[in-house]
Amino acid sequence: MTTGPQPTAMPAPKVLMATPAANFPLRDQYRQESQRMQRDFEAVGSGLAALSSRTRLVDSLCLTLWEQLFTAGHNSCALIALGGYGRNELFPHSDIDLLFLTADEAHRDPITTAIAGLCQTLWDCGLRVSPTTRTLADCGRFDPNNLEFTLSLLDCRFLAGDQTLFERLHGKTLPQLIARESDGLLQQLSELTQIRHQRFGNTIFHLEPNVKDGPGGLRDCHVARWLGMIVALASGRKPDLVSVRQNGAHGEMLAALEFLSSSRCYLHYRHGRDDNAIAWAAQEEMAARGIATGSGPLSPAEWMRLYFRHAKAVYRNSSQLLGQISRERSSLLRSFQHWRSRVSNSEFSVVDGRVFFQQAADAREASVVLRLFTFIARHGFSLSPESERRINDAYLRLAETMPQDQYLWQHLREMLTQPGAADALRALHSLNLLTRAVPEFETIDLLVLRDLYHRYTVDEHTFMAIDVLHRLNTEKDATLQPFAELMSELEHPELLFLALLLHDTGKGLEGADHTHGSLQLTGAAVKRMQLSEDAAAAVCFLVASHLEISSTLRRRDIYDPATIRELAAKIGTPERLKMLTLMTLADIKAVNPEALTPWKAENLWRLYTRTAGYLDRSADSEGLGADVSTKAIEKIIAMLPERGSTMLKFLDGLPQRYVLSHAPEEVAEHFLMAGQLAAEPVQLSLRAVSGQHELTVVTTDRAGLFRTLAGILYAWGMDITKAAAFSNRAGTVVDVFCFKDRFRTLELNPPERERFKRSVREILMGEAPLAPLLESRLKADHQPVKLTVATRLRFDNECSERSTLLEVVTQDRPGLLHTISSALTSEHCSIEVALIDTEGPVAHDVFYITCAGKKLSIETMPAIEWSLTAELADALPSTW
Amino acid sequence: MTKLETVIQPAKFDAVKDALIEIGVEGMTVTEVRGHGRQKGHTEFYRGREYTVDLLPKVKIEMVLPDQIVDRAIHAITNAARTGKIGDGKIFLARVDEAIRIRNDDRGENAL
Repeated sequence: MTTGPQPTAMPAPKVLMATPAANFPLRDQYRQESQRMQRDFEAVGSGLAALSSRTRLVDSLCLTLWEQLFTAGHNSCALIALGGYGRNELFPHSDIDLLFLTADEAHRDPITTAIAGLCQTLWDCGLRVSPTTRTLADCGRFDPNNLEFTLSLLDCRFLAGDQTLFERLHGKTLPQLIARESDGLLQQLSELTQIRHQRFGNTIFHLEPNVKDGPGGLRDCHVARWLGMIVALASGRKPDLVSVRQNGAHGEMLAALEFLSSSRCYLHYRHGRDDNAIAWAAQEEMAARGIATGSGPLSPAEWMRLYFRHAKAVYRNSSQLLGQISRERSSLLRSFQHWRSRVSNSEFSVVDGRVFFQQAADAREASVVLRLFTFIARHGFSLSPESERRINDAYLRLAETMPQDQYLWQHLREMLTQPGAADALRALHSLNLLTRAVPEFETIDLLVLRDLYHRYTVDEHTFMAIDVLHRLNTEKDATLQPFAELMSELEHPELLFLALLLHDTGKGLEGADHTHGSLQLTGAAVKRMQLSEDAAAAVCFLVASHLEISSTLRRRDIYDPATIRELAAKIGTPERLKMLTLMTLADIKAVNPEALTPWKAENLWRLYTRTAGYLDRSADSEGLGADVSTKAIEKIIAMLPERGSTMLKFLDGLPQRYVLSHAPEEVAEHFLMAGQLAAEPVQLSLRAVSGQHELTVVTTDRAGLFRTLAGILYAWGMDITKAAAFSNRAGTVVDVFCFKDRFRTLELNPPERERFKRSVREILMGEAPLAPLLESRLKADHQPVKLTVATRLRFDNECSERSTLLEVVTQDRPGLLHTISSALTSEHCSIEVALIDTEGPVAHDVFYITCAGKKLSIETMPAIEWSLTAELADALPSTW
Repeated sequence: MTKLETVIQPAKFDAVKDALIEIGVEGMTVTEVRGHGRQKGHTEFYRGREYTVDLLPKVKIEMVLPDQIVDRAIHAITNAARTGKIGDGKIFLARVDEAIRIRNDDRGENAL
């Protein structure tokens, strides 16, 4: 609240009548003064000075009219400036908020005509007046539906009339109102601010930001001011207006206020109305004129970087204040935060949702700082201002010692997969440390690219894309839920996130094709971080292909089989298809809030399912010929160049999918295992992969092999999650099973690993029986489980040239794969390829089967279906 | 003046838009829509789940044109959007009595 004598810079007009026709001189004088102020602003460029001048001009106008229209009989009435006008911050085309305050209802009617005359004259002068007439009692009541009025009262300033009445409002009524309603006011202010921020996607990084209402805009400065005033008045103190205005924020708030005010002032003059969007053309003009720069003309990109720096300071300040007040006010939130503070560890403590270093010196250690941001990403906390200050103080050392190699990747891979990864990356970036760790990101730091599609800077778009994927599992939009399932199936989500982090870095380079630039930068980054060859290839593939699916959606008929075939050929494997689909989804959704329409999401999903279906259905076709020379095979042969021809014999007849779904090192290992079959007819490899185990069996083909292996694993209490069976033309079989060790037998008893392998080998060679093992496991597993998934079988004789595809969807249960494979074997079917997958309670298995080396005949299918259905029903405990 | 309401395959939108701009069409309203005519729908399977695709994705382009370029516009659209298969889309034409530009009250073809 501000009070004080009113300036009278404007000479009193000669014409004193209140009729519209009589006020042309006043209007002309106002216009001339306004034009002079615009010229002054254009010459000097100070927004705050311009606001102050205009406030004085309007004050003079109001005082003049008050003296003309309100007689001595109009007592117990005061004219009061509210809102921005009250704050002395009147922008060229802002509304003039006026309060006609009366002592009571009885004093209202006599001034109605005078109020109308004053407002009409101001309108005639070209001012947009927002008048309100209230009694003192009205002002003392809080209307939850009109928070704006109470907030505007906080900035009230006496203009004319009964000063005692104003003092009663200012000194008593308002403080009492605030003290009584502070909780509700703070809560509503906080909610309104959140809603406003949400309207702008909760980010300051818009390509065409709104200097008033956007996050980090002038409204956030006002919010900070109001918060300070409400808190002070609620605790019985007088607001310290200087500190409230700057909010104690080291002058950076004042600098931001000057910058934003000058920018808004320019926009008002430029547009001739209260339009606060900094459109591209305005950016160019303000940059060229050096508006608010303090250092003359800049390039538009530099000017926008300056804008983002100021907006960032304002946004951070208001967010910190809002967070602080929310925590102080909400006991429930405090309890929750207190409970969350239990995650404090030896390095970091958590107080009220903010993270502090346990040891101040740790802020100088790059590895600790990286662990801090991983901690933030995992738990969703924010950095405390004190930690931020410590990191800033140690910046030079951190910048020098920040790892960029495999040590960085160790931290980054963990950080990227945590739910709060985007916020952690934003925080790291705002401290200028992300570009020290990943220099490739420097190219897109606050980069504004002008097109009609993107709404955010390139770096913010990147963080948003990462966030889109992390938020999928809480997404309520039904069209996005299938993608959430897809996300949970990824074997290496960290590679997808790294690809997203780097996918647009090329936009900061010269050249029309940013994908090419991004790929070059990504190649350098993955090399420096020493990712494995496969991982690096996957990340590079994703970056190089990140527009492939979008382009197919836009330019090709997704219902044309040729489109699907071509896309599948380009992508190659189901895992890459999943990652690229999710990357496309995130990339589109992060462009602007409306970019991913349900229509687009649906089409993307259809394209995915059709391509995934094609990859499944073509699993046994397109076998590798002995003379096939593809890039993948060249890489495999390069690993064992002296045995190239033998390797080609091993690969002959294996499906393309085998090569595409295995790393060259794995294929080479299988080849070496196959070479030892003469000495040892069953070759085994057992390794831990992503919290599971993977068993690879290389042996010669025989009847019921797959069924037996499935049975052994079940008998050992293993839960098979994925399986694949491949065979080459020479009859060598490569069966791969991924499984969970339900009882942690192998993990807790290392010697059991050898016993397990021995058991597999002995049973496969017929040296030990499987049946007793199975019987004891069946007894142990005979527990009722609620059946939620009905069994469905589907035969397809069209999709493969050599085999019949059998798709089985059923309730997952222990030993399921053994049950199915046993049933198929008993019907004289050979399993040529098996693709096994489990999603929660649903087992989804695809088998490519033959009978006597041929596809199944239509006549035999019902018998197999009947047999399999019966087996699956019998295998369920009776209580299912 | 004639209003053209055109429903086409999404994959053909860029080509149709370029062809229309080429002949001097300056404004159009584009909507993402779903629908079917003779193309009908079909059933798809993904991981054992059945998806009935009865409404197919299409793009609808609406524009009001001076009568003298309507034929050229139709020609441009059919040339760019035709594959010869069911599902290529349709063009609907309707007479428009008046057009008014809200900004300045321009009327008739001046408002287009």
